[in-house]
Amino acid sequence: MPLADNVRSASNIETLTLWLQKVPYAVFLGISAKLYDTDILFTLPANNKFIGNPSLPALHGGVVAAFMEQAAALHLLANMDNPALPKIINFSVDYLRPARLRDTYAKCVLSRQGRFISNITITAWQEHFDQPNAIARAHFLTPEFN
Amino acid sequence: MPVLSNSQKYNLVKIMNDHIPHAALLGIQVERIDGEELTLKLPYQTVLVGDSDAGTLHGGVLSVLLDQTLGMATVCCDTTEPSVTPTLDLRVDHLCVAPPGMDVFASARVYKATRKILFVEGIAYCESKEKPIARATGSWVRVADVDLSWLVASDNDAV
Repeated sequence: MPLADNVRSASNIETLTLWLQKVPYAVFLGISAKLYDTDILFTLPANNKFIGNPSLPALHGGVVAAFMEQAAALHLLANMDNPALPKIINFSVDYLRPARLRDTYAKCVLSRQGRFISNITITAWQEHFDQPNAIARAHFLTPEFN
Repeated sequence: MPVLSNSQKYNLVKIMNDHIPHAALLGIQVERIDGEELTLKLPYQTVLVGDSDAGTLHGGVLSVLLDQTLGMATVCCDTTEPSVTPTLDLRVDHLCVAPPGMDVFASARVYKATRKILFVEGIAYCESKEKPIARATGSWVRVADVDLSWLVASDNDAV
């Protein structure tokens, strides 16, 4: 059963957290998942080591992109019948505002879940959801049908 | 506008690269500059792995390296003055997974520069440029009121 069918259960978020812990780079970034309303909310904690522009200071755009890609992969995994880490096909990100040195959040929408390929859009923000720092979309190959 | 020599560009890119904390943390280094093409190197590290069973790098790590390389390639462009250039957008196609345990290189060049926008393309590869693992395109914004020309050493000062 997809985790998302009952994503408001704490045990499913614990399962998602276990998946996150299996990805060394997600651990390196310190990404966490929690429930927020009916959504899965991903957090990239503020950390000096992610700074790309020390003058502002602002987070490295690549780190924000990597965080959004990982959030999308986990969001898709939560919607799979047989959860497995999906393979990224491509990723496209638009940077709208510099991300400051503070916690960054991401929320995903599974725009289409196909048998082989899924399309996910991701919004990343810091202060307000309606003032996103970046928006992105990703295509993934669904491994359970490989 | 005088075209910068490879060694002038190398010094400028090195100053900028070393000034970026996250690039320094990951050990991203300037590999070479050949005319308008910049190549950076990211050493393989187990903390950057996406699939711990296979030992392959996380796709997001390639986004970091490609954002860094394409963004810094803007100062290697011969038709525009070096400037501060934040990323407008970036697209990465993941052509295959990075072979486990191998350092990754990324090469990029500006293919069109307008007064305000720099259009850049590049690839990431491990073994050879003929076997790219990812391909990226993106646009960078010229912040024209920030002049970097003072950072450019004369060729006599260049190593």
